[in-house]
Amino acid sequence: MELGEAGKARVRGYLYVLERSLRSFLPRDVVADAVREIETHVADRVAAVEANPDERTALERILTELGPPLRVAQAYSAELTLDEAIATGRIGATARSLWHFAVNSVAGFFGAIGLFIGYTLGLAFLAIAALKPIFPQNVGFVMHDGWLTGVGAQIALRPGESIVGGYWIIPLCAAIGILMLVGSHRGARRFLGWFRDRRDQRLRTTSAAVQDGAVGRV
Amino acid sequence: MSNQGWHEQLRRGALDLAILASVAPEPRYGLEIIRRLEDFTDLVVTEGTVYPILARLTHDGLLEARWTTGESSHPRKYYRLTAPGRRALDDMIGDWQVFTGKIDRLIDASGRSSHGTR
Repeated sequence: MELGEAGKARVRGYLYVLERSLRSFLPRDVVADAVREIETHVADRVAAVEANPDERTALERILTELGPPLRVAQAYSAELTLDEAIATGRIGATARSLWHFAVNSVAGFFGAIGLFIGYTLGLAFLAIAALKPIFPQNVGFVMHDGWLTGVGAQIALRPGESIVGGYWIIPLCAAIGILMLVGSHRGARRFLGWFRDRRDQRLRTTSAAVQDGAVGRV
Repeated sequence: MSNQGWHEQLRRGALDLAILASVAPEPRYGLEIIRRLEDFTDLVVTEGTVYPILARLTHDGLLEARWTTGESSHPRKYYRLTAPGRRALDDMIGDWQVFTGKIDRLIDASGRSSHGTR
């Protein structure tokens, strides 16, 4: 079968969505290679179909069996980053997986925001611990008229403000920072594990649909 | 109780072995590998999910990929086993045979035939 303009446009649209989705977590050269391979797959499948008056149905079957572009992208994410992130907890793989889910789902977006806050707070507490010996008079608990208004470094104090806290805040902030980073990272791995379980659940649904004959073969 | 979850885990666990075994005789491109898996197994649910596994196995150094223009009008990405891939496949086949042999013995000992119809 040879595709008409409408069929070619449909394939281009599929590949465009796939490429945009893959770009969120894979390097450009890997994305280009993956998209080229899927394009070749579609071309081979189309070429294997005998001339068909109902080109649209035949092409949709090919694309259905290939899987939605977002599902294929998720599978790339799962194979190349997700399992690595969950199994090893490597920062790079975890960050790439979180970014992918943050830009592809609502739950992923809000989960990633929460984890980002956790990581940032952890780093901020570590920064306080590191800055205290350098700026002993400007790092600590910021008090305003006897009320605690913040924690951190304040170089220029406004009227009524004062810095409270001796060197004892160094181990305290270091401990809080480490605990927050470890907690956030464990949370990230659990979050990614939950996403993987959800993906597997969807895969099982697809499997059941195929076995029930909902998806036919060309 | 549904055993879909168990079936899915079994399928995912066996896919690496099946893909490596598919390219063991000779280099093959993606669609050929999928066709071979479909001819011999029920492991392929969504064709597009085989390519990420091929990418991972290539990334792990078990497969080597190369774009080649053969009898087709367009280049295809052919996969072949690397030396570590062949060793990994041998190990996986050994593990698989030992594992299934023990499970078969256990099933036989339970009084249920391990070769019954499904």
